[in-house]
Amino acid sequence: MNKTTVCVLDDEAIVGDRLKPELEDDGYDVEVFTDSAVALKRVTEKCFDIVVTDLKMDGIDGMAFLEMVKEKCPACEVIMITGYATIETFRESRIKGAYEFIAKPFRMSEIRVAVKRAKKKVRRKGFVKLMTGK
Amino acid sequence: MNTLGNILKAIKKHLGWDGANKIPFPDLFGRFEDIIQQNNAAMELIADMGGKTGGEYLFDKKYLIDKVKQLEELVRLSAYDLNFITNNQYPQIYGTIESLARKLENILAGKVALHKKKPVYDLDEIDEFMEDVAGYKAYNLSIVHNLAKANVPSGFVVAIVGFRNYLAYNNLFKKIEELIEAYREEKMSVESVSHAVRLLILGGDIPPELRREILSAAELICEKSPESWCYSVRSSAVGEGGDFSFAGLHDSFLNVSYSELLSSFKKTMASLYNPASLEYRKKMNLFSMEMAMPVLFQGMVKSRVAGVLYTVDPNEPEKRECILSASWGLGNVVVEDQGQVDVFRVSRVAPHLIIEKKIGSKTWMVAPREIGSARKVPAELQNEPCLTPQEAATIVEASLILERYFKRPLDVEWSLDEGGKLWILQARPINIPRASGLQRSKLKGVLEGHRILLQERGTIAYQSIGAGPVWIVRDSKDLSEFPSGGVLVSRFAPPWLARAIPRASAVVTDIGSPTGHMATVAREFRVPALVDTAIATKILKPGQEVTVDAEERVIYEGRISELLRHKLLRPETFETTHEFRLLRRLLRRIAPLSLTDPEAPNFNAESCQTFHDIMRFMHEKAIQALAQVGKHPRSLLKQGGKRLKSDLPLNLVLIDVGGGFTKDVGRGVYIDPDQINSFPMKMLWQGLSSPQAWNTEPIAVDFKDLMSSLTKTQSAEVAGNTLTDVNLAVIDANYVNLSLRLGYHFTAIDAGVGPLIENNYIFFRFIGGVTDITQRSRRAGLLMSILEKNNFRVEISGDLVIARAIHLTREQMKDNLYLIGRLIGFARQLDVLLKHDSDVEIYFEKFMNEIMGSTENQ
Repeated sequence: MNKTTVCVLDDEAIVGDRLKPELEDDGYDVEVFTDSAVALKRVTEKCFDIVVTDLKMDGIDGMAFLEMVKEKCPACEVIMITGYATIETFRESRIKGAYEFIAKPFRMSEIRVAVKRAKKKVRRKGFVKLMTGK
Repeated sequence: MNTLGNILKAIKKHLGWDGANKIPFPDLFGRFEDIIQQNNAAMELIADMGGKTGGEYLFDKKYLIDKVKQLEELVRLSAYDLNFITNNQYPQIYGTIESLARKLENILAGKVALHKKKPVYDLDEIDEFMEDVAGYKAYNLSIVHNLAKANVPSGFVVAIVGFRNYLAYNNLFKKIEELIEAYREEKMSVESVSHAVRLLILGGDIPPELRREILSAAELICEKSPESWCYSVRSSAVGEGGDFSFAGLHDSFLNVSYSELLSSFKKTMASLYNPASLEYRKKMNLFSMEMAMPVLFQGMVKSRVAGVLYTVDPNEPEKRECILSASWGLGNVVVEDQGQVDVFRVSRVAPHLIIEKKIGSKTWMVAPREIGSARKVPAELQNEPCLTPQEAATIVEASLILERYFKRPLDVEWSLDEGGKLWILQARPINIPRASGLQRSKLKGVLEGHRILLQERGTIAYQSIGAGPVWIVRDSKDLSEFPSGGVLVSRFAPPWLARAIPRASAVVTDIGSPTGHMATVAREFRVPALVDTAIATKILKPGQEVTVDAEERVIYEGRISELLRHKLLRPETFETTHEFRLLRRLLRRIAPLSLTDPEAPNFNAESCQTFHDIMRFMHEKAIQALAQVGKHPRSLLKQGGKRLKSDLPLNLVLIDVGGGFTKDVGRGVYIDPDQINSFPMKMLWQGLSSPQAWNTEPIAVDFKDLMSSLTKTQSAEVAGNTLTDVNLAVIDANYVNLSLRLGYHFTAIDAGVGPLIENNYIFFRFIGGVTDITQRSRRAGLLMSILEKNNFRVEISGDLVIARAIHLTREQMKDNLYLIGRLIGFARQLDVLLKHDSDVEIYFEKFMNEIMGSTENQ
């Protein structure tokens, strides 16, 4: 079985630096970005199974990135992480199809569990598509 | 006239007649309450930041910036409030706050301005940001130096700036660059480039200022340890022993005399361009990295035997064995691999028995204090093992502490001096290919074969993995026998547990906080720690071998080598990230508390080193401002203070600054004890008012004691307690500050409880008495034993006792406040009773038995 692919985008390098080895250790294939434009370019080339993205970034922010990812790869599950958690942003990201919303700082176990759940969902969808062709 | 006016004003102010000094009570209490709340909020913030150092959380720089900003706001607000209620008595505090805030700002901005200019650093001065400044060897040694259990010879490093200054002073930058370029383009051979560059460096002059600094730093080493008249001068290249292995490529010199220091310095710098070093750089494509050579100077150890220890066998890392080689004298025959040495295989498991030994025929040695080449080992020693089993175990034990800290298998250079003291000369990671580790996902299968003893319980205080036999600690006696490498299991996490932590392979507690003192120490030594598991002491059995995975919060039965190796061979640790280093650096300016005694001469705004100090200072001064009100008991009662109804001769007035009384309290002057709503005051009162606490038996005071009491009167008046008529307690629902004068005893208690364990604290101060100082000191010793037994951290000086307990659970707060209440009554007459040293023990037992009986009945 192919490894589940994860894209991590946060303009603060530490997020990718710490998540990459942790998630790789859990058996994922991880790519890390600190510039949303670069990440977007990559997403147009390749659909990741899971995207973990910061919300507040210069240039294309997390909300816009979420929309673009969902448009390009509807099956991708997006986990939003942010230090500026408000009810409004939470609601908006849910409407736009985010899978989960995690406030920074978070426990490493929290994000690992979230990614694991997202992976299950992605696999389930893949299975349904395989069986039904939809 | 003007001068006279000023004098009059000063006198009025001193006597309290100054009209401007009178702050309306509601304002005073309101601001006081604000200070208390801000203090609690600040403590919560500090605890939150401290909790992020355990590795469990992912945080970014924004988090750090936000927390620092919030903390600064709280501190500034409190400073303003304090100056409001004291009529600007503490304007200096603003300066202290701003200067500290600027330091934090600089840390956040990554400015380490100091490091850029200074060429020479003492090993003590090197901090975790300075690896690139001081070079790997000096940096690592500075860490080892800060960890307990091992000695590092005192020394200093000429940092990268010193190297650059040297090149600049002799105009060498360009010349060297051209030669290196010629080598890279293969226009010149490595030998001729190396030779040319080394000649350039050796022929240069040391800038006069650098020369002076080196020589005076070297003299300082002699002052610190006059026995070491010789020095070692070692290369400490940036990157050496870290990502790249420059081991053995650069030169180091031993037994260097004072007069040869400067020439050895030049020789060490020149060795940066040794042919082998240049070839290695070319092969690894490292020429883009700046070439620079910090140089480490240390006093020589009078080494009787020395050698190298590998904490694992690089060929068989799964074996639980260390490889230890040793030879007589300075041991450089071991490092340089010449001649015959003794090789021991020693168990990694305490008590670190020797599993196998090969005693070499050691013909040559370099003795300490000898300049020049090696000499022959006396015939009778040549075939003798140069280490006893005990010495081997000591070396292994100390090295494993280092290994746990660095989280890597280590190559440790060590030395035992003539007195048998162990010195660490160097510690660097052994490169073991990562492939020999297992991915966590693949570990699954291995882990499934192991019984889980505890799962998803507790909070991670330090994230890592450790294994060893369980050792359950119930009191400090258990602790003194704690085996190195054991898993320390305890019901609580009292501060005294900390002393065993460096030797523990993991720590597990039933109750405790990830921000408590014990957890802080675990993080300092990077010992995996799981606190607040509720049931560990019930589930884990003494002596049982377990593996504590304080990453996944699981404790397995048995030792799972695969899991341990997984940890040891993982490439990155979170400590190396920039944000973690920032956080730790910030916390150093935020969290430690150095101002503990309000009566100490340095208890002032200028002496505050950290935000915690500042908050503590302001808190105390606010209390004092409020206590001034106690000078006028009538006005106190008029403004809402209540006299506590009691038969005890306390004459206690309570001031409620918020929720300290029950709702049914009316306008009257008196209040019943059961109308106290303040949790800490209630508990304290239970102890104070307990019938056993006030032993009313008349106590014989002999003539000497009586005389002593008469001469005591005056000093009691000037002891800083202004409450001549009443005793005063300031309370709110979760807070009490009580100052008591009972006869000649002065007691101060400050205690608070909050929603988090880390908000909870008790501060206790006790001084005075009727008898002479010997008896009063006995009493201080007795109080110390009782308080320490109950998890207080105690300092005594003469008859002064200062005790602090922090991070207690609500239940512990309850018990300890009750205990303090009891102790006040008990201590009142103790000094008269403690006629002999042996009485201390008797009364200790008596009190502990009484208190045990009553807390059980509570």
